[in-house]
Amino acid sequence: MSSIAHDPTHGHEHDHHAHHPSGVMRWITTTNHKDIGSLYLWFSFIMFLAGGVMALTIRAELFQPGLQIVQPEFFNQLTTMHGLVMVFGAIMPAFVGFANWQIPLMIGAPDMAFARMNNWSFWLLPVAAILLMGSFLAPGGASAAGWTLYAPLSVQMGMGMDMLIFAVHIMGASSIMGAINIVTTILNMRAPGMTLMKMPLFCWTWLITAYLLIAVMPVLAGAVTMLLTDRHFGTSFFNAAGGGDPVLYQHVFWFFGHPEVYIMILPAFGIVSQIIPTFSRKPLFGYASMVYATSSIAILSFIVWAHHMFTTGMPAAGQLFFMYATMLIAVPTGVKVFNWVATMWKGSMTFETPMLFAVGFIFVFTMGGFTGLICAITPIDIQIQDTYYVVAHFHYVLVAGSLFAIFAGTYYWLPKWTGHMYDEGLGRLHFWASIIFFNITFFPMHFLGLAGMPRRIPDYALQFADFNAIATVGAFGFGLSQLIFLAAVLKCVKGGQRRPQRSGTVRTDSSGPCPRQRPTIPSKLHRLSSKRCWLTGGPPWTGDQTSAPR
Amino acid sequence: MSDGDDTPQRAGFLSTVRAVLWSFAGVRKRRDYNQDASSLNPVHVIIAGIFAAVVFVLSIVLVVRFVVSQ
Ligand code: HEM
Ligand SMILES: [Cu+2]
Repeated sequence: MSSIAHDPTHGHEHDHHAHHPSGVMRWITTTNHKDIGSLYLWFSFIMFLAGGVMALTIRAELFQPGLQIVQPEFFNQLTTMHGLVMVFGAIMPAFVGFANWQIPLMIGAPDMAFARMNNWSFWLLPVAAILLMGSFLAPGGASAAGWTLYAPLSVQMGMGMDMLIFAVHIMGASSIMGAINIVTTILNMRAPGMTLMKMPLFCWTWLITAYLLIAVMPVLAGAVTMLLTDRHFGTSFFNAAGGGDPVLYQHVFWFFGHPEVYIMILPAFGIVSQIIPTFSRKPLFGYASMVYATSSIAILSFIVWAHHMFTTGMPAAGQLFFMYATMLIAVPTGVKVFNWVATMWKGSMTFETPMLFAVGFIFVFTMGGFTGLICAITPIDIQIQDTYYVVAHFHYVLVAGSLFAIFAGTYYWLPKWTGHMYDEGLGRLHFWASIIFFNITFFPMHFLGLAGMPRRIPDYALQFADFNAIATVGAFGFGLSQLIFLAAVLKCVKGGQRRPQRSGTVRTDSSGPCPRQRPTIPSKLHRLSSKRCWLTGGPPWTGDQTSAPR
Repeated sequence: MSDGDDTPQRAGFLSTVRAVLWSFAGVRKRRDYNQDASSLNPVHVIIAGIFAAVVFVLSIVLVVRFVVSQ
């Protein structure tokens, strides 16, 4: 029995039996959740590099005061596109890639519920990306309205703005389909005995994220559609001269936008909650609390959106409401941090690369959470809104939060995906270079913001020069460090050391990767093999370890 | 938080609301959680969750009105 489940050659034979198209058609027509997961992950890495090049151009321009490298108009296009590419092209698809790879394995499902729709959700993304990147070539260039696309600026831009609107529509459709797929898979396709409250936490965080996506992506689509009709079809939703209100745009956008930031962090919480217990050799402290905290974060994330709008002239009562609500939402977030720390407490910890990134995540994400609280205090935010302080805040939560979790998860599951161990030395180098350069880049931005440097400007007053120079040096260091990541991943994909037998931590008694395709009918064998796959990718105590076949 | 209730089969209105309220703080004792897991009805939990969110919003509104009226 175990030889059938383990033998990698058998897995290959199985593939050949199934008559899959080969070469590029394999990837275009694939309905296999692992193939699609890999596609998502590679897509997001390419977009990460594209967004990174834009960021480095921005930082190069800001190295010194004055205008040296790009025109101000192009600079504004770069900040806009950097934000959009990173949010919709890099972070979100990466998490969907993790979901595709891991969720069916973790819950023992043969594949995603809607395998063809899964293919469609992925292949919409390159189309959207081409529209997005192509808008740089449109007359007037790409949109320069900022990633938030505030009216009235976004009503005035050229054709690049229309391309962007359609790209957002397409990416939204892709996200909604992906979310429906994940919800259906988790609710309907769990292996017998896998109750909801036994699921690995990553599945829980994605289940809740998927509901958030279904709830708010249509709101974003509505917002950009209103922009489109204002631009071309004579409506005046956001045009005061026609009886509309530009602030309405901000309300609609942030009603999407704040849940969106949780869409980008909850799966990261899930990944970290898988990794911390493994490398602490203890079960996750407070599993149920984590599930409850995630759900309440999701609910509360809908009632805080106007903390992005404190300077739009709200009545004092509104300011107080959103300030109190925002500060209360930090409670369940704090509970999560305490749970991770309690999990590590007195554990026999080791610090392999995934754990380094996970611990780095906790440390640096917490700093981002605290600056968020500071931004939430209305009188302070009125001072620092639209300064580099906010830029520092959201890079602490997004880069050191979401992105570090993506790195952690990649190193953690790469051996499972490829059957090979990644190079531990490269991984550690990547971690230390990333966390050091990250802080060199973004920590000085707190000082810049407190001193009053506005965001989204190509030039600045002389007193900001030193911290900007430091930030630019750090940014180039950070950007180059990501090539280490690429090298580590390529080396692992191409071969190298076999997956190790880390007894006592992760069960690795199967020598190859999970077979590409498992039987569709849940047989006893399938249940065993998916359990093994799940065990090797998840914490060891959650399964019946003693009775698992050798 | 220990209640003397020894019959875990059917959760009443109050225990559903209590579980939801604890979830807003993000904490739950293991024993209480085990009781939840065996007795709570998911549909009731969702209804209680929406209800609690409305109550939460209204109570912040009350606090705000109290503060601005000073
Ligand atoms: C403790 C939790 C958090 C609190 C209290 C908080 C609070 C805030 C506040 C008040 C602002 C508005 C600042 C301003 O524009 O003046 C803000 C901006 C922002 N936050 Fe957070 N935040 C938290 C967590 C997060 C997380 C987890 C993410 C994403 C992973 C995130 C991403 C962002 C982004 C992207 C912006 C800037 C949006 C823009 O104007 O372009 N925040 N946050
Ligand atoms: Cu927000």
